[in-house]
Amino acid sequence: MSGINSILDIAARALSAQQVGVEVTSHNVANVNTPGYSRQRVEFATGITVPTPYGPMGTGVKVQGIERAFDPFITARLDEKTSTLMDYQTRSAALEQVAAFFNETQEANLNNLLSEFWAAWQDLSDNPSGYGERQALVFKAISLCEAFSFKADQLVQERLSLLQQVGPALEEINEHAANIARLNREIVETEANGRTANDLRDQRQLEISKLAQLIGIRTFATGEGTINVTLINGLPLVEGVSSWEMSYELAPDGSVDLHWNGPGGTVKHITTDILAGGKLTALIEMRDVVIPSFQQELDQLAQEFIFLVNSQHTQGVGLTSFSQITGTYAVDDPAASLDSAGLPFGDRIVSGSFQIFVDDQGSPISTSTIALDPSFSLNDLVAAINSDPALNPYITASIENNCLKIEANSPSYTFGFAQDTSQVLAALGVNTFFTGDKAYTFEVNPLLVNQPQFIAAGLIDASGAHAVGDNRNALALAALEGTAVGSEGLTVAAWYQKLVSDLGLEAQQAASQKSFYQGLVEQLTQMRDAVSGVSLDEELTNLVKFQRAYQAAARLVTAADELYQTLLTIKK
Amino acid sequence: MRVTMPTIFRNIQGNLQNLAEDLQKLNASIASGQKYQKLSDNPVEVGALLGLYREGSQTQQFERNLITGKSWLSLTESALEHIEEMVRAAMALANQMASGTYNAAQRQAAAQQVQGYIEEIMQMGNTSLNGHYIFGGFRTDTPPFVTGDWEIQSPVLRLKPGSAGTATSGGTYTGSASCTFLVEIVSDGGTGVGTYRVSRDGGQTWSATSTIPAGPIALGDGAEVTLGGSWTAGDRILIPVYQEIEYQGDDHSFEIAVGSHSRLAINRLGNETVGGDQGPNDLFQILSRLKSYLEGNDVAGVGEALENLRSYETHLTSILAGLGASLDRISIKENLFATLKNELTQQISTRGDTDMVEAVNLLKTKETAYQAALVSATKVMGLSLMDYL
Repeated sequence: MSGINSILDIAARALSAQQVGVEVTSHNVANVNTPGYSRQRVEFATGITVPTPYGPMGTGVKVQGIERAFDPFITARLDEKTSTLMDYQTRSAALEQVAAFFNETQEANLNNLLSEFWAAWQDLSDNPSGYGERQALVFKAISLCEAFSFKADQLVQERLSLLQQVGPALEEINEHAANIARLNREIVETEANGRTANDLRDQRQLEISKLAQLIGIRTFATGEGTINVTLINGLPLVEGVSSWEMSYELAPDGSVDLHWNGPGGTVKHITTDILAGGKLTALIEMRDVVIPSFQQELDQLAQEFIFLVNSQHTQGVGLTSFSQITGTYAVDDPAASLDSAGLPFGDRIVSGSFQIFVDDQGSPISTSTIALDPSFSLNDLVAAINSDPALNPYITASIENNCLKIEANSPSYTFGFAQDTSQVLAALGVNTFFTGDKAYTFEVNPLLVNQPQFIAAGLIDASGAHAVGDNRNALALAALEGTAVGSEGLTVAAWYQKLVSDLGLEAQQAASQKSFYQGLVEQLTQMRDAVSGVSLDEELTNLVKFQRAYQAAARLVTAADELYQTLLTIKK
Repeated sequence: MRVTMPTIFRNIQGNLQNLAEDLQKLNASIASGQKYQKLSDNPVEVGALLGLYREGSQTQQFERNLITGKSWLSLTESALEHIEEMVRAAMALANQMASGTYNAAQRQAAAQQVQGYIEEIMQMGNTSLNGHYIFGGFRTDTPPFVTGDWEIQSPVLRLKPGSAGTATSGGTYTGSASCTFLVEIVSDGGTGVGTYRVSRDGGQTWSATSTIPAGPIALGDGAEVTLGGSWTAGDRILIPVYQEIEYQGDDHSFEIAVGSHSRLAINRLGNETVGGDQGPNDLFQILSRLKSYLEGNDVAGVGEALENLRSYETHLTSILAGLGASLDRISIKENLFATLKNELTQQISTRGDTDMVEAVNLLKTKETAYQAALVSATKVMGLSLMDYL
């Protein structure tokens, strides 16, 4: 049924429809900078047609709904890549920090200090009785120890700082999961009338993207409009309108033990190998896998270095021999065999012997060879020394704080060591250069710091004679610079160089992966924005378009009004 | 493709950020002169640089060792050359004194001269470098040569043909100057038959003639000699008394490292080069004997000593040649290390130092790019439909 009324009806519907258009446009313009916002557009459709004698006639426009421009496929890919990007970004940041502590491109680095340490031995070999050379060697060695322990300390600090980020990351994950569950519920409620809750869906998508940055996830849309979120291994974080939390505690071995607290008090442990992507994965992996591997390597290097120097140093004698000496490595139990008594280098003791030379007023008076094997306990060793008739008139061995102590019986007696083929002196820390057994605990033997004359630059001859000009042990020590240690057959310096290169490569790889994924994310973001982003020029054009349509619809009202007027004039 | 507001602005930001980062890297590399600021900039090159730095510092250390080596060897060489001069002078003196034209008094005076040489040579043998005695092996803290106690040496017999005398010296010398007792048989015969006389000045003055006793004959200052067998008139017995010079060092050679796997002995042992070990090339013994023969006016002995000096001189010459070879090795090594150091410096520079020309060029390029990006960004940002509505 057509008529003027129907024209007015069409005009009114058109006015309100175009108004919706302007409203949606203004919503778009207003949200041009809102993160996660998807451009919306009004779906116009022609109104129902009514049958008339002239055939079916249109009844104008109607608003079908407001759609958001959204490509779930691109967004899912974007989230996935962002997750990986965040993983590498966190790794790269942590590795760059670690690499900064090992920055060998700057002055006063460990490589230099190591070279200087060996050079100081060479200097000592040039002038074995020189006090200055001895003092210089001690200072170089102290700087080297400090450099080692500084690096070890920085690695510990870095692990600590990574751990401090794990808690907040988990809190964020739980918060986002809870938000997604809440939004799921709101969306279901809002959409019960059949309309799409565009803004809520955008918000939920934003929460999902933020969650993906923290941890690798998979999402599944359900028929009811909710989205389920699971971890890569399938453990659900969000199921419909409920979410499950994650938490952590430190395992006995010090690593992060991640929990998933499911329904009904179910607790599942999540190992890092089933996590993939996201900041949390990187935090835990860096803290518990990557950095510990460098820590371990640094410790191993320090250990090999300590033993390398010590086992040579114990062969020698200083400017004067000892009137008493106490070992620096303690056993757990003096009755246990030395190779299993908790000595850090106990496993390196082999069957062999060492010689003790006793001087009276500086002239050789007695000597004896003590033979032993790794099954000896510290008690056995003490007994072997004390029961030796060539030694017991002059020196007495004892155990002090579970360390070996040897003392001369009279102030005129002094003693020294030589030809230790059993490595027991190095293992017990008797006449050693370094103390400690890790990068962190690594120090110059305090005895030598206070009395550098005990630095063993010389050797005791078979006759028991030892002279101040003897540089044989210093030469042997300096030559250790070229000695291969450890399983890979590298020198200490080459091993350190490898460690540094490995670290650098790891950092470089993380950085290049980061920039690769950065590019990918950039590209996907552009693709996403091409669909969902707001273009102001486009919106302005739309605005003009709707304005014009609105004006035209208003014009229809005027036209209908004129028609009425005309009709009413006829009646007058 | 739709280009939207976020795309435009993010691109502008991203591009400016990238350019700024490049600029900052270039700036750091120009300002520090080093290509790499961080380990991750180029781990492989940084690793290689570490190796080069290490080699460089090793080379420097070996160069330092060579300086020590050179000073030891040069000092040894100059001490030994000085000793060689003394030996030559002693040889000239011995040569002179071996001819019959000199008398006992002149030979006494020559003996004094030889004593002077002995002292001088001992002083040379006790040469020290920075307080370290260089001829004593590892015992650098004590002088390698010390003067021992006065010792009465075994008698030297100059027998006439057919004589069968034997002599043993004994007693404890109480005097304080070196001297040589000369006993001359005056008349033939053994104990209780033959007669002898004694001189302390090479036969210038003699004691009264006495019969050869069964026991020891007191020569003076506690020195004694016991004569046995039968003697012939004119037999002479020399009993030298002098202080032996003893070597106190040890037998170790002092080595320094002159390469990763090579060492060089930079000392010479006093007992091998000078003496004090009572061996065939003990210069002190040779000279002491020469001195005794001169004191005893014994021409034959002077001739023997001259022979011994000649053989010692040959020995010393070969030692000096060895020293020369060692010094030569040091200068070859020095040259080698200098070349190596140059090479290393160059490599380190090529690998690790910023190529300024390249870097500045690149900086200029980046600067232009940055400016261009800024201009284009402002142009794009300024474009809006709003300006025309």
